[in-house]
Amino acid sequence: MGSGRWSTDVYTAAARFRAATGASAFAYSDGGARRVHPALDPHGVDIRESRDSAEHPQSLAIAVLFDVTGSMGSVPRTLQAKLPQLLGLLLRKGYAKDPQILFGGIGDATCDRAPLQIGQFESDNRMDDDLSRILLEGGGGGQKTESYELAMYFMTRHTSIDCHEKRGRRGYLFLIGDEMAYPRIKRAEARRLIGDKLEADIRLEHITAALKQKWDAYYILPEGAYYQGDTEVLDFWHARFGQNVIELADLDAVCETIALIIGLGEDAISLDDGLADLADVGSVAGPVVSKALATIGAGRGELIISPAPADLDGPSGNIRL
Amino acid sequence: MNHIIVVDLGYGDAGKGAVVDWLCSPFGNAPVHTVVRFNGGAQAAHNVLTPDGRHHAFAQFGSGSFTPGVRTHLSRFVVVDPLALAAEAWHLASVGIHDALDRLTVDRDALLATPYHQAANRARELARGQNRHGSCGMGIGETASYALCHPADAPRAGDCATPRTLTRKLATLAERLADELGPLDTPPLADLCDAYRVFAAKVPLVDPDYLSRVLHAGPAVFEGAQGVLLDEWRGFHPYTTWSTTTFANAETLLAEAGATATRLGVIRCYMTRHGPGPFVTEDPTLELPEQHNGRNRWQGPFRVGHFDALAIRYAAEVTGGVDEVALTHQDVAARHELRLCQAYQLDGQRVERLEPGPARDLQHQEQLTRRLLRARPVYDAPGVDWQAVVEQTTGAPITLASHGPTALDKFLSQHHPARDHVTHMRGTPR
Repeated sequence: MGSGRWSTDVYTAAARFRAATGASAFAYSDGGARRVHPALDPHGVDIRESRDSAEHPQSLAIAVLFDVTGSMGSVPRTLQAKLPQLLGLLLRKGYAKDPQILFGGIGDATCDRAPLQIGQFESDNRMDDDLSRILLEGGGGGQKTESYELAMYFMTRHTSIDCHEKRGRRGYLFLIGDEMAYPRIKRAEARRLIGDKLEADIRLEHITAALKQKWDAYYILPEGAYYQGDTEVLDFWHARFGQNVIELADLDAVCETIALIIGLGEDAISLDDGLADLADVGSVAGPVVSKALATIGAGRGELIISPAPADLDGPSGNIRL
Repeated sequence: MNHIIVVDLGYGDAGKGAVVDWLCSPFGNAPVHTVVRFNGGAQAAHNVLTPDGRHHAFAQFGSGSFTPGVRTHLSRFVVVDPLALAAEAWHLASVGIHDALDRLTVDRDALLATPYHQAANRARELARGQNRHGSCGMGIGETASYALCHPADAPRAGDCATPRTLTRKLATLAERLADELGPLDTPPLADLCDAYRVFAAKVPLVDPDYLSRVLHAGPAVFEGAQGVLLDEWRGFHPYTTWSTTTFANAETLLAEAGATATRLGVIRCYMTRHGPGPFVTEDPTLELPEQHNGRNRWQGPFRVGHFDALAIRYAAEVTGGVDEVALTHQDVAARHELRLCQAYQLDGQRVERLEPGPARDLQHQEQLTRRLLRARPVYDAPGVDWQAVVEQTTGAPITLASHGPTALDKFLSQHHPARDHVTHMRGTPR
């Protein structure tokens, strides 16, 4: 008896059987697609919503956006293959009760086919469909800059998340890449790519400040990416995200790293608990994650709880103990 | 060869998934070669929780899938939904089972449940309004009834490998349903055919003799869906399913292979039911933990009540008797005040047995339903010997007891002949 919970649409089913037959898991990109998949196109999107529901009363918004350009080499592919494990990891260990995950891609608005790709917040494996639709850029790179500022602008202005609006808890935003952002959100790009009519360009500082009101934002820099050893990129993000900049030695550990950051942020675990959990589920990522999270794990100072608006009935912005 | 058939003697939800998971685990009947499904379809939701906290509601894949290497076979009695299979395999991958599709075979003659059937099913259920039957919305009944009316035109799993036949059958199906019910919201035919074609390219569609070979290759567990009290012929008509939920289909498949099996009946310490229909011992004041069953748009609320010995005995009798019993949810029984009903008050009389009627007599079943809707439970005084009553009711020994959700919470009872053999492997009884 039951609910037929595994029903799906024909296109997804076909893609999954193809993937299982050995066809590429990145079917959209490898199928010769030249432009952003309609489901991920931010143009004309009013808001991406993460909402509470009867089934998921304690929704927690989690967004993972990664650089899809050539400078990252094989990194985007590894991420596409690894990230589907994130939801299971969060749920299995109870780090978040009702996580809702959004995936997206970041390119360069000055030259790329897909400067910004944004999926939907999903509570089940549907978010993996978005992941498989992300268009990977072939070339690019070299300028040390990608359009992270557009992604941050979108996540600030075009998302609505119940964890923050109803419970005063910020969502989690992870940017994964190896380059710097452009210094301002350009009017013309916002119009062309998102459809917004801005009066003027917006300075990056304004957007990062606004972003942090809504999102606990992290920058993950994979070691082995192009600019490794060059501290300019690292310094750029440290200046903006402080200790929330994570250097990751082994990209295979990306899901575990994200899961533990969330577990720590939700006060569900200590770093040691989390590392023990990883060993529990048979992950060999422990040492890598341990090293990457040494700073935030040791002194978690930055747990910012913003007050919920006064006119809300729900529980206010208390830290869950 | 030690094959086992697992059948739910209630209205479903007794814990077949957990029992099959246990039977396939190192604690159970290992090494199990294949879990064979022999009724129902993608509407099943057999919940399995692993000791390390992973959960899956098995719909079409066998509930033994958490044990590496255990295969699933969908026999010709199963209504197959390839689209739902893709989604289920995807979820299984997220809980660590990456090769579910590689461990699957499907009988060519199995009927296909398509988006056309599902749309028609939902249209009909909505039209029934308050009188809905508690269908799951997966189109199983619609698929079965269409195949009864048009056996030669009904799309079957094997058709997925022959695009021309498949296209013709689907087009005919779409046309007939649209004529009857008006426009239905379904995907384009070509796209559907494409999805079925790649399904056939991935999953082996096998001839009937495949199962015979399996049954001689290693132990099989036949996993029943739903429950005997919902059987299309023996359930309380019309609150039944379109599926044969007794041991009958499994016995047919075994007989074709010249094999036999142990008949294991699964019973909860209390009764549960999804959706409408007779439920004499229903008790809405009972607040029992129910982790994975909730309200479903198409089936209505999840109902609970006390142990109904008359209904369970009726189920055991109409299904031709059971060899052994698995009694589940004993941890709940230990923590809550559950009662035991061994008699009804019905039209001023005390009734202690529900006499099975003639085979395939729906008029009789409907009368039985009307009687049950008037019946009131008579409960025993507290302090009854549960196990004795269950064994007396079913005429079979309790050989497997479940005290919690995972395989570690199951153990063999005193009666089991293999008990000494496996004692050292099982979890500690609480």
